[in-house]
Amino acid sequence: MLGVNPIPRSVCPATASSRLRFLSPFLLCVAAAAIWLPSRAAAQETPYFVAYSHHLEEPGNLEIETYSIYGTQKGGGDFIAPWMELEYGVTAWWTTEFYIDSQHTFGDGSVFTGTRWENRFRPLMREHWINPVLYVEFENITDADKTLKEVVGTDTQFDAADPNSEANRSHAHEIETKLILSSDYKGWNFSENFIGEKNLGHEPWEFGYALGVSRPLRLEATPRPCNFCRENMILGAEMYGGLGTVKAFSLSGTSHYVAPIAAWQLPNGVTFSISPGFGLNENSHRFLLRWGMAYEIGGFGRKVRSLLR
Amino acid sequence: MRRLLILTALLFASLAAVAATGHDRDLDSRGIFQVIAKAPAKSRDQKNPYEGQTNAVAAGEKLFRQHCAECHGEDALGRGRAANLRASGVQNATPGELAWFLRNGNLVHGMPPWAGIPEQRRWQIIAYVKSLH
Repeated sequence: MLGVNPIPRSVCPATASSRLRFLSPFLLCVAAAAIWLPSRAAAQETPYFVAYSHHLEEPGNLEIETYSIYGTQKGGGDFIAPWMELEYGVTAWWTTEFYIDSQHTFGDGSVFTGTRWENRFRPLMREHWINPVLYVEFENITDADKTLKEVVGTDTQFDAADPNSEANRSHAHEIETKLILSSDYKGWNFSENFIGEKNLGHEPWEFGYALGVSRPLRLEATPRPCNFCRENMILGAEMYGGLGTVKAFSLSGTSHYVAPIAAWQLPNGVTFSISPGFGLNENSHRFLLRWGMAYEIGGFGRKVRSLLR
Repeated sequence: MRRLLILTALLFASLAAVAATGHDRDLDSRGIFQVIAKAPAKSRDQKNPYEGQTNAVAAGEKLFRQHCAECHGEDALGRGRAANLRASGVQNATPGELAWFLRNGNLVHGMPPWAGIPEQRRWQIIAYVKSLH
């Protein structure tokens, strides 16, 4: 996609005030959620944005999540891509998730970029040193999608430089599979994801990886309820990137990122996360910032059943 | 926009269908007691490092309300098909058996594994559950 009419940087300045305009709804949500939301189930999920661990949604729980990513762009306008996730624990071994993606490119415009439907399955019924989870996702998105939920093949920052009017015309139907391997050891979580993605329009399989490590700041719980305490804070980091295609399995021409993560899990089921990411080579976006909020509704399935009775 | 609304409606319809059908069958407390009894000997003999500590019981109660009360009830008497944690099947189990069960869960019968919360907190939950006898 190199050389396809990129927007000159000077035409689309992403000013500090325009960035703040996109952050303000999130900050309002933070304040409202911390004060207003009633006490609900708290999840045991890891704080990753890209990598997955083997911890699935608890059965019957619904998690409503809203995330955004801000990215710098060479040869085009910087962007903010918000997405929403609805995650439901169908059983203790099966979690399903639905995504709605969008993006705004500074100096260009805002577009809805598609939907995804994801399923994760635990094939083994017990905990082991390494726990596998099988992941399969169907994506119905356009080339304007900039959520960077995964990096595969030879995805580079230059793919995101096309104007929205052009990129949003090109629809992709893709199947994404992942082998998720994850371990818990002395409060740490280590997760390794191997990604295979296939565009259903006669394109080769593309591969990628994501690695994550995280740990709560304090392993024991304190006796008293608290919001601002170390047991509710999780720190971690993730690294992800492409591994080429089935025809050229290689690091050549791929992009890679490393991103520290901080998450704050409130006892009422609300989690806030933030993660600055840094591109590791010329093909990568120089800087990414992800942030988001998740709210878990415990016993959602039971509540729906009681309504239907 | 219309397509987005249809997709969202389909999603919620699917969730409602899932919730209204097979989920109840998966929460069988009788299965849970049988699985507790299958804990390996090595785990069965483990002692709770927080045993007898009132602070640990209080912390365990807080964690119980965050993670467990949604299914087992605030009073731990069980709800629907989630197990009654005051029942003899749980109270007579050793702390090691409960720790093993809490870590592994019982995926077939709807109890998720709780390996995602640190071991120290799982022991605190067990200290609280054992204090309910």
